[in-house]
Amino acid sequence: MRMVRRHALTAFALLALAYLLLPIVIVILFSFNDPVGRFNYTWEGFTLDNWASPLAVPGLGEAMRASLEIAFLSSLVATILGTLIALALVRYHFKGRGATNLFIFLPMTTPEVVLGASLLTLFLNLGVSRGFATIVLAHIMFNISFVVVTVRARLVGFDRHLEEAAMDLGANSWATFTRVTLPLIAPGIMAGALLAFALSIDDFVITNFNSGSTITFPLFVYGAARVGVPPQVNVMGTMIFLAAAGLMLANVLIQNRRASQS
Amino acid sequence: MIPTYYLANTSLQTGSIDLGYSFTWAWSNYSDAISTYHEQFVRSLVYAGVATVLALAVSYPLAYWIAFRGGRWKNLLLLLVIAPFFVTYLIRTLAWQTILSDDSIVVRTLQTVGVVEDGGRLLATSTAVIAGITYNFLPFMALPLYASLEQIDARLIEAAEDLYSSRMQAFFRITLPLSLPGVFAGTLLTFIPAAGDFINAQLLGTPRQFMIGNVIQSKFLVTTDYGEAAALSFVLMAAILVAVLVYMRLLGTERLTAG
Amino acid sequence: MTRPLTRPLTRRELLERAALGGAVLTIPGFLAACGGSGGIEGAGTTAATTGAAKDTTLAKKLTMSNWTLYIDIDEKTKKRPTLEDFTKETGVQVDYIEDVNDNDQWFGKNQAALKQGNGIGRDLTVLTDWMAARMVRLGYVEKLDKEAIPNASNLVSALASPGWDPDRSYSMPWQSGLTGIGYDPDKAGEITSLQQLLEDPKLKGKVTFLTEMPDTMGLMLQLDGADPTTVDKAAFEKGIKRLQKAVDSGQIRQFTGNDYAPLLAKGDVWACVAWSGDMVQLQLDNPKLKFNIPDQGGMIWTDNMLIPTGGDVLTASTFVNYVYEPKVAAQIEAYVNYICPVEGAKVEMESIDPELAGNQLIFPDEATLAQVKIFDADAADNAAFKSAFQAVIGA
Repeated sequence: MRMVRRHALTAFALLALAYLLLPIVIVILFSFNDPVGRFNYTWEGFTLDNWASPLAVPGLGEAMRASLEIAFLSSLVATILGTLIALALVRYHFKGRGATNLFIFLPMTTPEVVLGASLLTLFLNLGVSRGFATIVLAHIMFNISFVVVTVRARLVGFDRHLEEAAMDLGANSWATFTRVTLPLIAPGIMAGALLAFALSIDDFVITNFNSGSTITFPLFVYGAARVGVPPQVNVMGTMIFLAAAGLMLANVLIQNRRASQS
Repeated sequence: MIPTYYLANTSLQTGSIDLGYSFTWAWSNYSDAISTYHEQFVRSLVYAGVATVLALAVSYPLAYWIAFRGGRWKNLLLLLVIAPFFVTYLIRTLAWQTILSDDSIVVRTLQTVGVVEDGGRLLATSTAVIAGITYNFLPFMALPLYASLEQIDARLIEAAEDLYSSRMQAFFRITLPLSLPGVFAGTLLTFIPAAGDFINAQLLGTPRQFMIGNVIQSKFLVTTDYGEAAALSFVLMAAILVAVLVYMRLLGTERLTAG
Repeated sequence: MTRPLTRPLTRRELLERAALGGAVLTIPGFLAACGGSGGIEGAGTTAATTGAAKDTTLAKKLTMSNWTLYIDIDEKTKKRPTLEDFTKETGVQVDYIEDVNDNDQWFGKNQAALKQGNGIGRDLTVLTDWMAARMVRLGYVEKLDKEAIPNASNLVSALASPGWDPDRSYSMPWQSGLTGIGYDPDKAGEITSLQQLLEDPKLKGKVTFLTEMPDTMGLMLQLDGADPTTVDKAAFEKGIKRLQKAVDSGQIRQFTGNDYAPLLAKGDVWACVAWSGDMVQLQLDNPKLKFNIPDQGGMIWTDNMLIPTGGDVLTASTFVNYVYEPKVAAQIEAYVNYICPVEGAKVEMESIDPELAGNQLIFPDEATLAQVKIFDADAADNAAFKSAFQAVIGA
């Protein structure tokens, strides 16, 4: 009986993963499609041409690179700032606490089109010319909220006694922070960072308003949809995903090797 | 609070793109907003709510599994959870439209089983819209849940299982309460943005499924009724905050947001 | 909290407070786009200047906004041949930015800067009729330098004089398209009238209309015998009612942008209000799909080149002239496959790709053009009409 239940969880989880990844399979499949026209909607035939020349469409490669750079930068900054804010919110009772709580939620409750336009007006009034930098700033702004909420969930259950113990043993606050607190909340920070990354790389509305001349991947795809999204878009998406998965996999293998060596 | 003041200011304006906008204490923007669009408001909250519950149901076991059984593969598995975001929203929705196409295996099977009526369809229905919202916000639920679950010491669960007679009891008495911060965070991160969503209704629904996000989008971009759009946004924000406050009361906030 | 935790952590507390303060300050200004505080200088532009006096030298760079994938591409060299050739001939570098993906979004993005009279860093942009009309009406465009565009005489006569720019002083067409009925004859039979889409029970739930008001209402008006070039309020309301009925009964499945194309391709939709350019592409993969202009009449729309405020008039006009060369127009058309506005390009196309030259959806003949009308630009921007239409489509 226990065996069944044990495996039931795994089965369910695998099903959930399959559900998540099912459209990706279709996307990967269609990256091998060979349509005659410009639309990539029905299966016409198998070809490796798209994979042979993934950058054949001008603007696509640059858009992907811009998206990745923006996602990395904004999730990095948002994670750092968000984590600090989460720490502050959970641990300290300071005067602006209630208001800050509200401010964290406000960007999330605002419809994207209003948020995007507001940011644009802000940039206009500050005389900032729109482009890469403004996109990153905009992404950081909405990402912070998500990181804060995610990290806070982790912090709430955090056992402060561990920090106390470290202090009692002679560690100063920085050492305690880096060697005790951070590692323990690392999975929360990781979850927040991944979420911020995902949000950033897929954002359309806010980015569209604040992009100036920079074209990101979602902007390109949205525009291309009018005349036909080339299969190279599928190729790009797949490549990025595989690259990221490959990195993670390499990490696992390195850890495995280290474990087996010790 | 200055920024919110400006939004409030705009919400009381009237005007058009040709004639310019002026502040006219147009409270009618608010009353019109609620009277004309209450259907979309309610629908948005309902869709977002259902999607959140569904996302929770799917994400919790998944997050639990990754947290406790993931081992070294945890980060890779987490990456898989956000993998759909690497291909843009349009592409993955297109993929879903292929999978759930009227003539697809999926739909035909459901018709045979009786879940879908003969000649019925899955696309362009409320089911499709809710499914789309659920799917696209799944990582927002799963990742905070994972963050919270991963922290739970497995030995606590073991001990509980030794003390209580069944695993279920151990789960309900130990794991679930300890994971509540994650549940709370996940529900917020899913419900709040989902309520303002518009793109799922636009691509996967008929006019009868349109949400308040669609209305705001339309008022803002197409008819450039900035005053009404701002008023609608305010009402939406207020509605969400009220819902969140009620939710927080039910769960007991202090435990969830402070150490 | 015990003592050891409070004192040493004040340093961190300061840091966190600073982060907090920073975050609060950066919380987005909730200024709606129409600008809470008027009179503040907007962002500067990067475009070349306009002079009050006539410009006689070409700028070094032309910055052009266009829709995605709307100009010819050479897949092998990953460059855009027309732009390359232009640079070779005139020495002007072209900064080509594909940032127009939706008329309303583009306007929403740029209107604040334009309203303040500032440039937006572009010498040329390409917008659809009704949006171009709005730009002209609001004064957000510069006049073309017609002396620099002798090739303007190559403009096809059907597009020579739209109501919103009768002399073509501000705009020149880039590409056009027809709006009609796209359908799968195997599933829907022959469709010749919009009425079938609205009322044929066989097509229930298998029909889509467009979210573009000029296109959908243009067809609805003509169905009732009304004239879409000068829209009459009563006729419009009648059309709206008829449309609403079809929505309520579930006859119309959805209102779409061009996402009707995958639905038609996969058979989820059997007949739809469609654009000619999309049908050309869909027919390449499925030659059975057909496109008909409804019996009562179809629509023609145009994406027009405009010079936004602050753009370099001479350089922009020179580019316009360049693309109105029949040979260049044919080169662009061979890739884009919408409707070419340049007379003489068809002949050139015959040496590039004879099949395209004969395609009615790319080079329509007089008979076809006689069946289509241009929508009343003022009506397209009429607030009451827009609101009524938006209410029908769900928003």
